[in-house]
Amino acid sequence: MAFCPLDVRTKNSSTRQEDSPITRLADISSHHATQPPRAKGTLRVGTKMVGDRSVLDDLHQAGSFRCLFPKTCGAAMDVVLLNTAGGITGGDQFTFSGHLAMDTTLTLTTQACERAYKAQPNQTGQIRNRLRVEAGARFNWLPQETILFNGSALDRRLSIDLDPGASLLMVEPLVFGRPAMGEVLTKVRFRDRIEIRRAGMPLFIDAMSLAGNVQAHLDKPFIGNGAGAMALVVLVAKDAERHLATLRETLPETGGVSLLQQDVLVLRLLAEDDFTLRKTLLPVLRELHGGDLPRCWMI
Amino acid sequence: MDSDALMATATDTLTLTQWFSPAFPVGAFAYSHGLERTIEAGDAANSEQVGAWIADVLQHGAGWNDSLFIGAAYSASAKDLCEVDATSRAFSASAERLKETQLQGAAFCKVTGEIWAADLRGLTYPVAVGRAARLQGLPLELTNQVYLQAFVSNLAAVAMRLVPLGQTEGQKLIHALTPLCCTIAEGAATATLDDLASSSFVTDIAAMKHETQYSRIFRT
Repeated sequence: MAFCPLDVRTKNSSTRQEDSPITRLADISSHHATQPPRAKGTLRVGTKMVGDRSVLDDLHQAGSFRCLFPKTCGAAMDVVLLNTAGGITGGDQFTFSGHLAMDTTLTLTTQACERAYKAQPNQTGQIRNRLRVEAGARFNWLPQETILFNGSALDRRLSIDLDPGASLLMVEPLVFGRPAMGEVLTKVRFRDRIEIRRAGMPLFIDAMSLAGNVQAHLDKPFIGNGAGAMALVVLVAKDAERHLATLRETLPETGGVSLLQQDVLVLRLLAEDDFTLRKTLLPVLRELHGGDLPRCWMI
Repeated sequence: MDSDALMATATDTLTLTQWFSPAFPVGAFAYSHGLERTIEAGDAANSEQVGAWIADVLQHGAGWNDSLFIGAAYSASAKDLCEVDATSRAFSASAERLKETQLQGAAFCKVTGEIWAADLRGLTYPVAVGRAARLQGLPLELTNQVYLQAFVSNLAAVAMRLVPLGQTEGQKLIHALTPLCCTIAEGAATATLDDLASSSFVTDIAAMKHETQYSRIFRT
């Protein structure tokens, strides 16, 4: 078979076309022409210990997913994730993978809230975050809020594999629409799965699947009781139990905390809107993080 | 699905009726799934509100998810059963929810294991039920239907005691929620653990708050 790097033959062009070099333009299918561009981003970060500090060991960035490394004075490494596409819509794909070597500490946040924009019918944005945390390492997953816009379609997964002796603090704050603009989520598809494993076995799993009129669903008294925002916090640490009493006192009627195992604490919080969510969430995270949150949270 | 192509024999039906009768010693009567807290807070003060609470937990909480665990345990090999059970534990929304599924599961394993000579040990409740149903060759969808109705009946009994609701009111509730048990069992028949989904957030928080409730009758 003859080698043909640019195949110009189509069903309708069985005649030889060597002498008309621009015929390829006619082959651009209308299918591709009507599809808006889609954002794709891949990001990989690895840490290692140098002396008593956690530093970057491995970094790979591609597409619309970037990260920044703010200077820190402590032993931990801070990374700020940046979606240069400015949000996520149907068909977008973002993948983050991280590897925390033994005894390192990595704190990860986002530069801004993640916005899930209106998607084309039958298109779904995809976020895949996967981390491996080695023994003695501590991973702080502290992204800012994800805001679901009306019409958005998002499928998100966060998978964290802990080695025995690894520790973790994670939060996923979620905001349902932009009420200040009078936005009501009447048509949304949102699938979210958080899976934390230890030594290969499931340790904590949370999954939700919301479709259609999400606000009507959240308005039901025993679903969200009208909540416009929510957050899930998980702490896996030897001293998890120590925080239980303090958090119980901190939380309003719309939030609960529980110790699933001696070293696994989970907290769920509903709030009227993003502002009231932060008001409760910030002191909770400061308590569990044992200090100030990444600066992005404060500005 | 194959198992449901088989018609349930009379013995199948009666075995399931026995497993999920309130007399079967799993101690179901001791657990309220957090409903005691909601009633204490005054948010479920009549039959309509209690019905909404149970319906939400059925559709958007433990009802749907337990059906998936029953199905996954039913079709799992003995080797994969451990992973299904760990997933069920990991999916517990609070310490008391975990306790509820562990203690009922342990009791179910003990009794069922002894009577039906089945090798069952230390599984969470829905996983134990799914595995036992498989070992006995019981139809999966029917197992789910009866399990879900027992779950509803138990919560209705909690409400009868605490709200309180009258006996007839309580039975009306169970009757009204029975079609939902069938719908969920039917949907779960073609679903897998990838379809786990929980959004009855308020009831999850109630289950957490129940841990510190001062005066309580139920263990969860």
